[in-house]
Amino acid sequence: MSPADENSPSALDHVLILAPYRKDADYLARLLGDHQVNVEIGLAGNNLAELLAASPGVLIGTHEALTPAAIEAVADHLNRQPSWAEMPVVVLLDRASRPDQVRAELSRVWPRARLLFYQRPVTAVELVSGVQSALLVRLRQREVRDHIAREIELRRELNHRVKNILASVTSIFEMTRRGATSVEVLARDFRGRLGALDKVHSAVFHAEDDAVSIAEIAALTFEPYMVGDDERIVAQGPPVTLHREAGTTMALCLHELTTNAIKYGAMSRPEGRVRFTWEVSKTQAPELGIRWKEYGGPTVEEPMRIGYGTRYVRSALTSMFGRPPQISFERDGLRCEARGLFSPLSATSDSHGS
Amino acid sequence: MRIFYLEDNPLIAMHVEQLVEDGGHVFAGTASSFEELRERFDTLVMDCALVDIDLADGHTGPQAVVWLKERGVPSIFVTGQSQVAEEYRDVAVGVVPKPISESLLSEKLRLLASVVNNSD
Repeated sequence: MSPADENSPSALDHVLILAPYRKDADYLARLLGDHQVNVEIGLAGNNLAELLAASPGVLIGTHEALTPAAIEAVADHLNRQPSWAEMPVVVLLDRASRPDQVRAELSRVWPRARLLFYQRPVTAVELVSGVQSALLVRLRQREVRDHIAREIELRRELNHRVKNILASVTSIFEMTRRGATSVEVLARDFRGRLGALDKVHSAVFHAEDDAVSIAEIAALTFEPYMVGDDERIVAQGPPVTLHREAGTTMALCLHELTTNAIKYGAMSRPEGRVRFTWEVSKTQAPELGIRWKEYGGPTVEEPMRIGYGTRYVRSALTSMFGRPPQISFERDGLRCEARGLFSPLSATSDSHGS
Repeated sequence: MRIFYLEDNPLIAMHVEQLVEDGGHVFAGTASSFEELRERFDTLVMDCALVDIDLADGHTGPQAVVWLKERGVPSIFVTGQSQVAEEYRDVAVGVVPKPISESLLSEKLRLLASVVNNSD
């Protein structure tokens, strides 16, 4: 990265100059200012703790600025640094001083600083490049800080999602158990429902933007039941992308409708057909409409008791669309239609919580 | 007792609906966001509510519990975030962690029933 980049380190951080002599301070400020480095000058008598609290990216101190009080104030600041930080400190030593001794002493009292020593006279080129390099170190430290924050956020989000999935799986299990007449039926139905959840999870994960299209959900759901260019199930509609929660709900609904069609409906006969279609209205507040229609299967009779599938489809589509779906057991086949505002379901909306 | 459920996961809502009915109560419906609850509140009849913390409109469960309490509706949290729920122990009657234990839920429903009956 060149220093002229808009992300240049000096654009984010300022350099605090500690030089008791006004002339030194002004020289350093002008030199660094000429190289687009923001500076703040701390003169003798200024409140050093306050200047440090403004969190300078780099500290430059002349030898004579390092009074016992100043050393203590800087040590105090360094000790308060967050774990990601090691403030770079540039020390300008006197020509007559003994650098090894000063370095040993400062390393002892400032254990969490990146110390850089120059012995005067120092050329402008050396000093400027030293400070720029120190600012770059500081920028990298801030990047580490951002990564740590992001990781904490991701861990929290991961925990949240795992909890949600476990809660969903528990509910699927308990509900499946209620309807099961034998352990074999329980195992088969539970496996099928987990499989549907797994497939849509993979589809959403691979998309990387937490979105999934209805066509993809339909393809994943119907794929195990299609043989060759099977025309028994037709899925048709424009490209529509749903966000993760809506996509998951849609996948689970389609799974229930499909398994129901296989067990009792159109798919239980070779000549039976299913049409699944969807569209988005071109109105000012677009609505998403979905329609499931079976025909050519056995004559349909209204079931005596409402099973998991119907119950789930009804409550899930109600929650998704904000109004109940129309489910009708027509003689030539089951129909299920739902319609509601598209924006809360759309992958591009940011109104849904995650 | 008429029990409303503020929850945006339809699977869990359906499970709880059955548990509520098993307990001899009336399931008074669901809403998936605090916003939806406020919009529909005047058309709803409920004695108490079960409330998740994260809803379709964000982290709004705690606000919903406070809002319901102001309208004389006691609530319990049903949530995977028990620690957050603990911060609101003064407003909510109790907490049922997720995944839901059927026995714990019915125990907390009895607790809610005693609160509802005492306020009558």
